[in-house]
Amino acid sequence: MQKYISQQNFTALLDALIKQGTRVVAPKLNAGTVLYEPLAAAEEMVADQLPRRSGKEAFFPLCEEIMSYEKTGQQVALTDIDPARFPETVLVGVRPCDAAAIPVLDAVFSWDYKDEFFLERRRKTTVVGLACTTADDACFCTAVGISPAETRGSDLFLTPLVVGGYRCESYSDKGEALINSHPGLFAEPSVAGALPLAEPQTEKFDLKKVKAWLDEHFEDPAWDSIATRCVGCGACAFVCPACHCFDIVDEGTEKKGKRRKSWDACGFWKFTHHASGHNPRDQQPKRYRNRIMHKFKYYDDKFGQTLCTGCGRCIRLCPVGIDIAAIVEEISKKEV
Amino acid sequence: MCDTANKNIYLPYLTTVEEVIDETPDVRTLRLVFQDPELRENFTFRSGQFAEYSAFGAGEATFCIASSPTRKGYIECSFRSVGRVTEELRRLEVGDTMGVRGPYGNSFPIEEFFGKNMVFVAGGIALPPLRTLICNCLDQRDKFGDITIVYGARTEADLVYKRELKEWQERADVRLVKTVDPGGDGPEWDGMVGFVPTILGEAAPSAENTIALVCGPPIMIKFTLPVLEKLGFTDQQVYTTLENRMKCGLGKCGRCNVGNVYVCKDGPVFTAQQIKAMPMEF
Repeated sequence: MQKYISQQNFTALLDALIKQGTRVVAPKLNAGTVLYEPLAAAEEMVADQLPRRSGKEAFFPLCEEIMSYEKTGQQVALTDIDPARFPETVLVGVRPCDAAAIPVLDAVFSWDYKDEFFLERRRKTTVVGLACTTADDACFCTAVGISPAETRGSDLFLTPLVVGGYRCESYSDKGEALINSHPGLFAEPSVAGALPLAEPQTEKFDLKKVKAWLDEHFEDPAWDSIATRCVGCGACAFVCPACHCFDIVDEGTEKKGKRRKSWDACGFWKFTHHASGHNPRDQQPKRYRNRIMHKFKYYDDKFGQTLCTGCGRCIRLCPVGIDIAAIVEEISKKEV
Repeated sequence: MCDTANKNIYLPYLTTVEEVIDETPDVRTLRLVFQDPELRENFTFRSGQFAEYSAFGAGEATFCIASSPTRKGYIECSFRSVGRVTEELRRLEVGDTMGVRGPYGNSFPIEEFFGKNMVFVAGGIALPPLRTLICNCLDQRDKFGDITIVYGARTEADLVYKRELKEWQERADVRLVKTVDPGGDGPEWDGMVGFVPTILGEAAPSAENTIALVCGPPIMIKFTLPVLEKLGFTDQQVYTTLENRMKCGLGKCGRCNVGNVYVCKDGPVFTAQQIKAMPMEF
């Protein structure tokens, strides 16, 4: 289904959703930083900046309670989490790089055992993607095969038009349902042209060649120079739309407390540290190698695609200037 | 084993500590009984599988299920107190409640071992993952040929399952070769003195129609594999279990991988052939 919505009606749509109790999450300015956060009013949405962190936390919060426990004498009572409490959500203004990472996460949380914390939120969320019209030096979505108009992961996709407002195209029942929930706000498709798409300044990587090199070079002197600078701060994983490693920790006392699932990062030395003191990834280059391997080989081995959508956040944020795009490009030029 | 559709996959089952057994000064075995009567009856697992054990307030720790599935009504885990969770698990007393999630991972293909000789090779705290299979084999003794157990630890005091070692030693249908590292023997020691790979070489079990099961610290495995090779074992005849750090046990949290192999889902049981194909990341 294709429709047109004016900027004014778009604002009205978000306000109507908020008013009816739907959680509307969109890029929003919070203490100087744009993040995907619940809106109190549509006017809070910041449409022209890529949020500092990705949209994944709409389904996979930084830290969430997965159960609580309480001890009485020798007995322990556990309280489960009722997924019914997860709110109906519309995630709006999602950049194609962020939206494309959502199916990548779906695969992880739904293969074999089903993680209902992620999946129930997913079921209850309608993803409204937004074509990208601004790229910076760190953007490289096109290099990993994603276009600034990529619709993968979006239920409804908005393309800003030169005349203002958006072309709306639905890609799922959820997207169609969102249009049908407020049909009066949508008009027939406009013939007006779209705003020019962003043009990340990167060549497309030969990802097959990258993987072919990784397949054969777990041990290679190049790893020492590739990430010798990495300080293991984990920021790259925390801002990444596709990273999904997590920790499970108890918070509370022996008597009473909560068990939480919270983001973790393979760059942390403790990530693979055994209680015995042994650590299979005992040096930072080994940990960075795992990051590259997971994104461009291991995930591909298992799920048939790359665990990177080229959002460039890790490049922007790395305190020591590690540039994953430059690393992958370099690997793509190596002799296999 | 359980239907996990629409359920919280991170929610542990509750068990009661039925027995606390001190194996060594720092290794303890807990015998656990599921509090839910239905689960007590129906909980099944296979030798080689592992579980996540909860010390509420401290978190979860990963160990194999050390008891045999042939012995029903309870499960056992054995652990050394070395970290936050295991220190807390050590504080549990008989009657206390403990959480268990599992069973997870693959298992020893015991049916494929029927009719074969079995050689178990373990070092130190690595006996529990093989003990489940040893007891399993002994409980259906007529299905196996010769059973040889080569087990060593640093010192006499570090040997776990001493009561079972005694039982195995006394059985005519089991050959137990126990050893301690040089200097680890006391005046009463009635076993061998030497490192496990050396003692295994001296014990020289035949590779003919035999499966070898090896578990120990990485250094022991490294030196044991060539000894087995020399004895004529092919890599398909040799099994081991890996124990990388884990959190979820479900193939999601992303830390137990060795290359693209997830120990929690693809393992923890691997053949030597599979181990040799892996990068050195365990």
